[in-house]
Amino acid sequence: MSSTYWPWWAGAIGLALTTVNYTLVTDRSFGVSSAWDRVLHWRRERRIERMDEEFTDDQALADALAAATAEHFGTGTGPSAEPAIPYGTSRPVEAVARPATCEPPATTNPRPVPLVTQAALLLSIFVGGFVAAVTSGRFHLRYDMGPGFRNLVTADPATMIALLFAGGVLVGFGTRLAGGCSSGHGLSGCGRLRPVSIVATTVFFGTAVAVSFLLWKVI
Amino acid sequence: MRTRGAILLANIITGLLLGYTVSNIGFGDYAQLNRMFTFQDPRMLLSFAGAVVIIVCAFALLRVRRTPERIHAGVVPGAVLFGTGWAISGGCPAIPVVQVAGGYLPALVTIAGVVVGMRLCRWVSTRYLGLDRGSCGL
Repeated sequence: MSSTYWPWWAGAIGLALTTVNYTLVTDRSFGVSSAWDRVLHWRRERRIERMDEEFTDDQALADALAAATAEHFGTGTGPSAEPAIPYGTSRPVEAVARPATCEPPATTNPRPVPLVTQAALLLSIFVGGFVAAVTSGRFHLRYDMGPGFRNLVTADPATMIALLFAGGVLVGFGTRLAGGCSSGHGLSGCGRLRPVSIVATTVFFGTAVAVSFLLWKVI
Repeated sequence: MRTRGAILLANIITGLLLGYTVSNIGFGDYAQLNRMFTFQDPRMLLSFAGAVVIIVCAFALLRVRRTPERIHAGVVPGAVLFGTGWAISGGCPAIPVVQVAGGYLPALVTIAGVVVGMRLCRWVSTRYLGLDRGSCGL
């Protein structure tokens, strides 16, 4: 059965290509659990996106006002004009707006990608997985999780459903509490050598190893 | 370059590549996953570790900037819960999607669990813990 799977190096290249391509095009790191989280809380995310758009508009308005003021008073030509606007309304706007948008790039995360692109990511994972399963001849509609799960965990359908659900809850809760999953912390974060991601990856991998040994040898 | 269209396209390509690769590595196959976590078969482990090595080199070459992030209080307990859930259900947030796509219908239950767990996490952490959970990169 394992002969239908890729050799290790092909998998490594595939995963690396996925991560590097995403970062190059979007200038962000990708994470499947955050995509899930944002799609699940889409109402709140849409609200934030709308506020963001309005804020951008406000800033554009403030910039236009400042430019018009400078043009009218002829102060926008040289650096000497800067301290000459003691009561300028553009000053406080800038003071408030700048920290949110123009902090040094090294210390802040860029703006999140649009919500719809995260939904597209999840759908595409499904399509990619489907194409892989069909083209490799592995696709097979079934009501169990395969012989591995049956032998190692349980053969009883009701227990299987309960364990899958409980495991899913742990995965959902845990990834969001830890701020990432095997793609966000494991690939993108470790690829950037971020300490938080290295700690998270070591801990979730170590725990999975311990639990897997328990399932294999003890239970 | 980084317009809305480009970002959408990048997400679609990433999703297709990730789903295709993860399925062909065998992450959706519970027996393979358990063999990886119990070190009986190093193939999938090498795929993951090899990918990390390539990414580290590529990011260093491309001078991808790093975003420093502190290790907040949720990282270790969250990772313990995630590791346990992954070993039991065989799913990290992308894998159940790939499993359903491969015909494993019960993985829909895993997805339902992930949905409940994530909603629960946001509810609990905003209401009781007041944790800044950081983000998965976005």
